[in-house]
Amino acid sequence: MTGFALRRLLSLPPLLLAVSFGFFAMLRLGRGDPALDYLRLAQVPPTDAAFAAARAELGLDRPLLAQYGAWLWDALRLDLGTSWFTRRPVAEEIAQFLPATLQLAGTAMLVTLALGIPLGLWAALRRDRWPDHATRLIAFLGVSVPNFWLAFLLVLLFAVTLGWLPAMGREGPASLVLPALATAAMSACVMLRLVRASVLGALGEPHLRFAAARGLPRRTLLGRHVVLNAMLPPLTAMGLHLGELIGGAMVVETVFGWPGLGRWALLAIANRDYPVLQGFVMVLTLVFVLGNLLVDLAYAWLDPRIRLERAA
Amino acid sequence: MRRRSLLRALPALSGLPVLPRPAAAASRPLPRTLRFSWAGNAGPLHPHRYAPNQMYAQAMLYEPLVRYMEGGRLAPALATAWEREDDGRGYVFTLRPGLRFTDGAPFDAAAVVANIRALLAQPSRHNWLELVAQIEDVEAVDPGTVRLRLRGPYHPALMELALIRPLRFASPAVLRPDGGVDAPIGTGPWLLAETHPGQHDLFRRNPGYWGEPPALEQVMVRVVSDSNTRALALEAGEIDLVYGTDQLDADTFRRFAADRRFTTAISPPLATRLVALNSARFPTDDPAVRRAIAHGIDRAALVRHVLLDTEPAAGTLFAENFPYTGLGLRAPAFDRAAAVALLEQAGWHLPPGARLRQREGRELVLDLCFTGGDALQKALAEAMQGDLARIGIGARLLGEDSATYLGRQKSGEFGMIFADTWGAPYDPHAFLGSMRQPAHADYQAQRGLPMKDEVDRRIGAVLATTDEEKRAAEYRWLLTTLHEQAVYFPISFLTNKLVHRADLGAVPFGGTRYEIPFDRIRPHG
Repeated sequence: MTGFALRRLLSLPPLLLAVSFGFFAMLRLGRGDPALDYLRLAQVPPTDAAFAAARAELGLDRPLLAQYGAWLWDALRLDLGTSWFTRRPVAEEIAQFLPATLQLAGTAMLVTLALGIPLGLWAALRRDRWPDHATRLIAFLGVSVPNFWLAFLLVLLFAVTLGWLPAMGREGPASLVLPALATAAMSACVMLRLVRASVLGALGEPHLRFAAARGLPRRTLLGRHVVLNAMLPPLTAMGLHLGELIGGAMVVETVFGWPGLGRWALLAIANRDYPVLQGFVMVLTLVFVLGNLLVDLAYAWLDPRIRLERAA
Repeated sequence: MRRRSLLRALPALSGLPVLPRPAAAASRPLPRTLRFSWAGNAGPLHPHRYAPNQMYAQAMLYEPLVRYMEGGRLAPALATAWEREDDGRGYVFTLRPGLRFTDGAPFDAAAVVANIRALLAQPSRHNWLELVAQIEDVEAVDPGTVRLRLRGPYHPALMELALIRPLRFASPAVLRPDGGVDAPIGTGPWLLAETHPGQHDLFRRNPGYWGEPPALEQVMVRVVSDSNTRALALEAGEIDLVYGTDQLDADTFRRFAADRRFTTAISPPLATRLVALNSARFPTDDPAVRRAIAHGIDRAALVRHVLLDTEPAAGTLFAENFPYTGLGLRAPAFDRAAAVALLEQAGWHLPPGARLRQREGRELVLDLCFTGGDALQKALAEAMQGDLARIGIGARLLGEDSATYLGRQKSGEFGMIFADTWGAPYDPHAFLGSMRQPAHADYQAQRGLPMKDEVDRRIGAVLATTDEEKRAAEYRWLLTTLHEQAVYFPISFLTNKLVHRADLGAVPFGGTRYEIPFDRIRPHG
């Protein structure tokens, strides 16, 4: 188990290196010079002198490989450069905005689990009856509605019309409710469908009939033989949801004025703030890989067959 | 009651943001803290620097020697009087006596000299501004008098001194040798009390302000980057005021205007929204094509249906409330028959069954370029494309990222391109000055004009002459020539729009696009 975790951790640096180079190259493949965006944002007319000065200031006048080399050398020392727009260190900004995003994504994950698992279970146990039809309809709507649109609907209902919750900002627990719901909605619905399908699969297993014939009580049957076995696919999905929740938070953070990494990155896309985007992608890769590693470890812990396979 | 309100709101949910009628917004007691919103934080607030410093916030903390008023009039600010020297190269300013920065340091001639020398030490940052390039020296005649010497006569000097940046003044105690500032310390009506990245900035009233003190105690500026969120926050009572050129889309502004709980207003023209036509590139190098375009696009329809009447239609390069622009010029009337006649006379004929005109085997097709992410430009471009198609001109719409779009402005790779004027106090003089720079869309658009050299020469003359009559004559020639050559298709005059709760009180407009007069807001009660 420890060896497996170590191997996965050791694969992280080459992965980050590949991602960093790939993304660096992709950014620079785009048309147009970001120095022009820089001048536009500064509301400085793009005279030849101002353009040349901006390119020199941003380091764009150097060869591409030299730019990447300089970035990599600094990144190895945990210096991710300076934002072209705010002129603040990228690492400092990440440290500032990451907690809000983790709070939002973490809460959204809890909402996903708290809604997806019980409702999925309920739907499976009441198959083809009204709870099943109702939850399937909810799941269908949930995966179909874009999260930014749902976010506006939630604000309109709970902030503007009813006045129960704040429309925006990050001031106290109440301000977390609507962004977390909007972020979690799609993942919760996917989770619901997955749990339902997985539980239905487990309910059809032959060993369950034998266990029932042995006279095991229904609670034990469900708890030990159905739910536990049915949790493996949703657990795998959790790793994927983590990236989805952080990615989905981009738009939701913008709608709710949530001071997190997503809104910060979206602004950087609009501003073509390359150092910020590069830093954001590095953080996202790290979170995604570490999240999936945790899921894999939980997977092995939950399923002895996998543990034994890896040990062998 | 609430259920009924909600039911009323729900049918409209498909078109956000909507303004349901319910109770939430407008009954909060009036505060002494005004809550405003902006797309980003105010920035470090250096008076001489650009992004990420937000201009509205720089204008709250820092003041100019002379202030630009609506219509181009100049009023005393930190200088009570000024005089131009006989050779036109020098200005002597009498400073307002007894002023102090918010750190207690005196505002005097030494402070002015220290600030101007600090920005002259970084010419590459500021040389885009002709005045900075023109400044030869600045000296303190005595503690209350400053003399500015220029390399040559430069008539718009005072206008450029009124800009929000870079010619405003921080306490000399915070100016660092490397050009930075240790803290944002100015003489203005506000001081920055706190800033939380991504969340808000809080400005507090300057207790020692020399002018009339603001009625508000604080201005809280929340960071809201999305215009729909801004509208909903105003509706939910979480912000009190929306102010700016593009803070709300036109449809939402109209909805607020129809809601009696809110007050809305539109400022006088501040700049011009226009499309530049490339006179050096096929097919707009043909004056007949440019004139046909001027006749063939229905400007009134663009303003009514796309801009929803939130901006007045523009018939000229500059609005007539700018200096030297009241020349009585009128845009060619929308007249498809006249447009078609012009094209026919110039040899652009429509082959049987074809939809595009041709001359000597070449189709009449041009590139109409805009920023792809700008929904308003896209809608305007599509409407223009429709109008042009009706007179047999094909317009290829090129919506691209902003850097590519700016690159096209710079290189001249366009047939028609959106390019707003800079607005007060840059218009008309600084904008005309920029027409001589190849990096500008205007230069590229005019490059094919037979009188381009003459245009550039006369722009130089208009900026340098000290003779008022000659200056007015030069402006007349320049603006009339550009108008007649049809290298611009003005669409509308950009305006600031404001929306606030009806019981907030009077909110006036600032003289320029980015000056928000928080200090002149007088809340009721």
